[in-house]
Amino acid sequence: MDEFLLSKVRLGIVAALLSNEWMSFAALAENTQATGGNLGAHLAKLVEAGYVEEEKLFVSRRPQSRYRLTRRGRDAFLAHVKQLQSFLQGVS
Amino acid sequence: MEPADAREHLEMAERIVAASTRELSMRYAAPFFVVWGLASGTVCLIYQLIATGIAPPWTQWIGVGLLALAVVFSAVYGRISSKSACGLTFLQREFLNVLWIAMCVAFVVNVGGWNIFPLFAVSAVWAVAASIVLFYIGLHENRRALAGGIVLVGSIVVGNFMPSIVGYVLAAGFYIGYAGFGIAELLARV
Repeated sequence: MDEFLLSKVRLGIVAALLSNEWMSFAALAENTQATGGNLGAHLAKLVEAGYVEEEKLFVSRRPQSRYRLTRRGRDAFLAHVKQLQSFLQGVS
Repeated sequence: MEPADAREHLEMAERIVAASTRELSMRYAAPFFVVWGLASGTVCLIYQLIATGIAPPWTQWIGVGLLALAVVFSAVYGRISSKSACGLTFLQREFLNVLWIAMCVAFVVNVGGWNIFPLFAVSAVWAVAASIVLFYIGLHENRRALAGGIVLVGSIVVGNFMPSIVGYVLAAGFYIGYAGFGIAELLARV
């Protein structure tokens, strides 16, 4: 299984980004129910792994970050879900 | 990893994906419906008033001006919204494609078929395109959009049997079905 996606928060981030072109930090926090610090740390790991792309921009003169899933992240998520499903099938 | 953890992970991922793909959020689009519904309804109203001799022919330019304002609003609002950090979902992108295709086809048909469609038929074609957009939103679990689409189609059917006041009927369809849907979406957000 994908070690980056074994974390529930990171899996939640990738799942949320799967159906969005871009998501802001605030939207991701709302979606994953993670605290700011925790979300930031997990996002940094996903960016480092190349699963998520980060873009910094100014909205109404205030700095904001937005995120989107990379092809690598999408493939990793789909493979991870498939592995979880086969794991559960093997158990039952 | 324990089976219970794996199941929990899978369920959580499925829940998040399902939540974002099931419902088509109208957060950004609602003002478009209000503006275009009001403009289209008022144009129908003006042409009916002209047809019945209540308003002078030059008032048709008010309608043209309103449609131009709606175009300007759409361009400005669309530009402001696109600068937001929070992007569109893929479902919203698909909806926008349906919206633009329906409205562009209606516009081209209206402009290109001016010898085929008499005065109020142009509004009816516009209402058909608008109802397709609303029904598409309705398919994504939005009953307000379904109701709006039914009102618009209903206004064409009712208008057919009331030729002397067809402009009023189509205007009511746009006000209630299209602008009303936008207002209901804005109120639902509050």
